[in-house]
Amino acid sequence: MPDKRLSRRTAVVGVGTTAYGKLPEHDAYDLGVWALREALDDAGLGVADVDGLIVNRIPDYQRFGEIIGLNPRYASITPGQGRFSGHCIETAVAVIDAGLATTVALVYGNNGRSAGDRYGGATDAYGSGGAGFWFPWGMTSPGAFHALMAQRHMHLYGTTSDDLGEVAVTFRRHAALNPSAVMRAPFTLEAYHASRYVVEPLHLLDYCLINDGGVALIVTSAERARDRRKPPVYIAGFGQALQLADSTFPPDDFWRAPMALVARDVYGMAGLGPADMDALMIYDNFTPTVLFALEGFGYCPVGEGGRWARGRLGLGGEFPTNTSGGHLSESYMQGWALNAEAVRQLRGECGARQVAGARHVHYMACAPMVTSIVYGSERG
Amino acid sequence: MTPYGKPLPVTDERNRPFWEGARRGELCLQRCVGCHAFRLPASRYCPGCGGDGSEWARVTGRGTLESFCHFHKAYFPGFEGEVPYNVAVVRLAEGARLFTNIVGVANDRLRIGMRVEACFDPVTPEVTLVKFKPAGAPAARSVE
Repeated sequence: MPDKRLSRRTAVVGVGTTAYGKLPEHDAYDLGVWALREALDDAGLGVADVDGLIVNRIPDYQRFGEIIGLNPRYASITPGQGRFSGHCIETAVAVIDAGLATTVALVYGNNGRSAGDRYGGATDAYGSGGAGFWFPWGMTSPGAFHALMAQRHMHLYGTTSDDLGEVAVTFRRHAALNPSAVMRAPFTLEAYHASRYVVEPLHLLDYCLINDGGVALIVTSAERARDRRKPPVYIAGFGQALQLADSTFPPDDFWRAPMALVARDVYGMAGLGPADMDALMIYDNFTPTVLFALEGFGYCPVGEGGRWARGRLGLGGEFPTNTSGGHLSESYMQGWALNAEAVRQLRGECGARQVAGARHVHYMACAPMVTSIVYGSERG
Repeated sequence: MTPYGKPLPVTDERNRPFWEGARRGELCLQRCVGCHAFRLPASRYCPGCGGDGSEWARVTGRGTLESFCHFHKAYFPGFEGEVPYNVAVVRLAEGARLFTNIVGVANDRLRIGMRVEACFDPVTPEVTLVKFKPAGAPAARSVE
């Protein structure tokens, strides 16, 4: 497990986000540069201050470094899957702790909407790389994989479509307060039910929104963070665990085994538990994963996510969740924009959707790779 | 006759015995010669024990419906006229799982936990798909 002494040893000092939507004049590199400039400006730093570079979804780290004229001491690139956003941030902490770099720029650029990315059909590669084997039966897409999980959750625990719809309705209500969100018009539970099925039991409104956009974060040591333009947001705890065995098929346990390991690590390092969290950022590729994460990270008993979440996740509720609108309503920025929102909430920059006095925000993502990060506004 | 428009399997040396078995009307899976665990998709090494040796063996074809969903969107050509169609996860008595379609029962009668058994749908002269039907139900074959 990660060393507890890493708690609050690093901090986010800059966040940058582009517009989200259809931005055909920008490729993934351009979106990354746009976000990075915003993040550096936010931190009061320049490109020359960056000595570590981690890119995600941008096709090539070398070309990206060439475009921004960077000669870093450390660089890495990961697969363009959203589960890697938390992974990249955790790597930045380790890289800084190991002395490989002092100031790491994490850059994400995604032109998926303009490039016509498809998450189902002939180009589908979801899962462990063998998706094509199942095409003759018509099986394809991460949406179907999660529909199968949702159906089983409903069968085992009595979760309902209303429970899923409530998540979608709540996040859209948040997006209405976020000028950057792509979808801002609130809808009712009735409208949710009336929206077409894609892969039943999931409706269109259970799916995230594929868009163009970029996000960048600047992470540095707590010592260096003190001198920056804005108050540091400390990385108080983090953890990661994977469940890759038999991962061609939906996990029997809704990824609870890896989540239990990560929960122990992230809470243990932060010295905090669910009751201490002022806001939650949950990787919402599809509505069911929100419920799986709430159960896996101990917010509610196993199987009760659907009923428990009702009325608790909205602004003003017990655990305001995805205050930006999340992937379902702001934009599918693959976890990155949720981490940016966590930082902005802790700085008090969220305007109409601000959680008053937020001190701790908890990011979690459940997938074959589970990651989680607790951010805190105070050092100790 | 209308040409078959749905995706066809991409066979390779590793998975060919699965498709050859299906053509014979047999559900065959790869089995580790060391620990005897069945597996799908095919792989050189056993995920359970790491063993290098494997063979293909016929399994009972009996299993349990672990979950299902209904595709309302046709992601592939050939499915447009069949939406909503079901895709299911079946766990075989031998432990391995597969994605498949359940036939011989209306979509709204599918129930998680129901017992199912393999049946064989020759979709082209070369390709037979392994599907499942409720255990004990009459064979449901597609019309040539």
